Amino acid sequence: MRFISIAVFCASLLSEQAHAQITPEELTVETMPTPGANWFISKTGNGGYIFDAISGEMQGMLSLSRYTPAVTHWAPRQEFYAAESYLSRGVYGERTDIVAVYDFENLRPIAEIVIPNHMARLSVRGHLGLMNSGRHLAVQNMNPGHSVSIVDVEDRVFVYEASTPGCAVIMPVADNDFMQVCGDGTLQLIQLDISGFEENRVRSDVFFNVIDDAVFDRVARSAAGWWLITHAGVIFEATVNGPEIEISEGWRITDLGEEDWRPGGREEIITAHQESGLIYVAMHQGPVDTHHEPGTEIWVLDSNARRRVGRIELETPANSLTVTQEAEPKLLVADSRGGTHIYDAVSFAYERSINTPGADNFEDF
Amino acid sequence: MNIDKLMDRSYYWIDEQARRTSLALARRLSRRSFLSRLGIFLSGAAAFPLLPVARSFAQNSIQEVGDPQTCEYWRYCAMSGTLCSCCGGSYTSCPPGAEPSPITWVGTCRNPFDGRNYLMSYNDCCGKAVCSRCGCHNTEGDKPVYFNSNSSTVLWCFGTENTSYHCTVSLVLGAEDE
Repeated sequence: MRFISIAVFCASLLSEQAHAQITPEELTVETMPTPGANWFISKTGNGGYIFDAISGEMQGMLSLSRYTPAVTHWAPRQEFYAAESYLSRGVYGERTDIVAVYDFENLRPIAEIVIPNHMARLSVRGHLGLMNSGRHLAVQNMNPGHSVSIVDVEDRVFVYEASTPGCAVIMPVADNDFMQVCGDGTLQLIQLDISGFEENRVRSDVFFNVIDDAVFDRVARSAAGWWLITHAGVIFEATVNGPEIEISEGWRITDLGEEDWRPGGREEIITAHQESGLIYVAMHQGPVDTHHEPGTEIWVLDSNARRRVGRIELETPANSLTVTQEAEPKLLVADSRGGTHIYDAVSFAYERSINTPGADNFEDF
Repeated sequence: MNIDKLMDRSYYWIDEQARRTSLALARRLSRRSFLSRLGIFLSGAAAFPLLPVARSFAQNSIQEVGDPQTCEYWRYCAMSGTLCSCCGGSYTSCPPGAEPSPITWVGTCRNPFDGRNYLMSYNDCCGKAVCSRCGCHNTEGDKPVYFNSNSSTVLWCFGTENTSYHCTVSLVLGAEDE
């Protein structure tokens, strides 16, 4: 009996030893892999969530201020840029507006540039624009007069604040210039010099009436310039030729009998695939002044033929759209209940929904 | 008489009138009385720019129907934000501790009780966390942010010590037919 007890005890010791051979796990921190096709940032009031639109998997997050209008990026420097506004005690105290620079690899802030405390603090994608040269970033201000802060993101310095009365929205064009929409029915072109200071300022002819049919402050980049759309659904393309602003003749996206259909939504209601010339617009049925009503359908328009090529019916109306610029593009849709959905932007087929806090806008990178 | 002499005589007449008026005032008024009247004049002048606002507060005889804690209330036709009337304030007062923004956006709303159109001023109350009760977003006459005097999308906490948004009130500034 005693022998059996010793044998059982030894066996139990051996068993313990076998369990003890498991190597303790180590806590590690991921780094961002090289961004793949159709990766995008879902900009929310809680930060920027990075997703792969093909797998639907989240890749990481940028911590942003709740007042950040948008995030943009510059792939050659592997950096993201966000305009941010903070109050020292959360909801009161000293205000500090900055442009924050985040690295691709760790999604951490690696630099910040203090700018005037005049940021508009609205979730409008066009309130932040990196010039096409990748050097100067423009931030939309409202105090309540309009102005623009220019930041040299390469040298990490604030350059100057340009007063732009009656004009807002930043549409980068040419190498180091940007256009704006103005309340008098014109566009404004501001050309920057190599240091980021204003070199030239030009206004277009009047092409819309803000009282009768205003142009949305939500715009979409085209292959040559920018698409603008009015509350009644008339599309214009604005381009520049040196110091000249050129605006195409407007075309109405509704046919006869469809006059009660209008563009609308709380955020980015128009987006465009530059290479194919396809334009996507959130549309709803309603009277005048329903321009913030979310879209019950997304209309797909061929800008070359100036005709509609598809209608995507939505279960939940949409507030914000972005199409990625890949060869096989995805259409990213934020609905009015906080859901985010991905469609094939060519076949218009629904692919998946992803779980992200309600997105204001998306950044394709 | 040439023009120079005429001008000289005019200046002399003005100087003489000013001298006589000053002497008459000095004989009739004590220094304290003069300062007192000057003070009254200056306070009146300071209040002058406030008159349009003061007039709006005097319009307390508007007959109204409806529930000011719902977005359908007639004053909110161009309102966007959180209703202060649900947050410890009213449609004309900020909740305790909030700071009213002096800069506003405007709209025109029809009062169903009397059928008149009223000019509305939508003032944000600022300096506290967003109330997040009774959200309301109406867009009658709303314009994009580049036309910000008629834009409800803008955060209107300008000219306040603290710039965080708490809620919004809606004041009547006047009637369209006045």
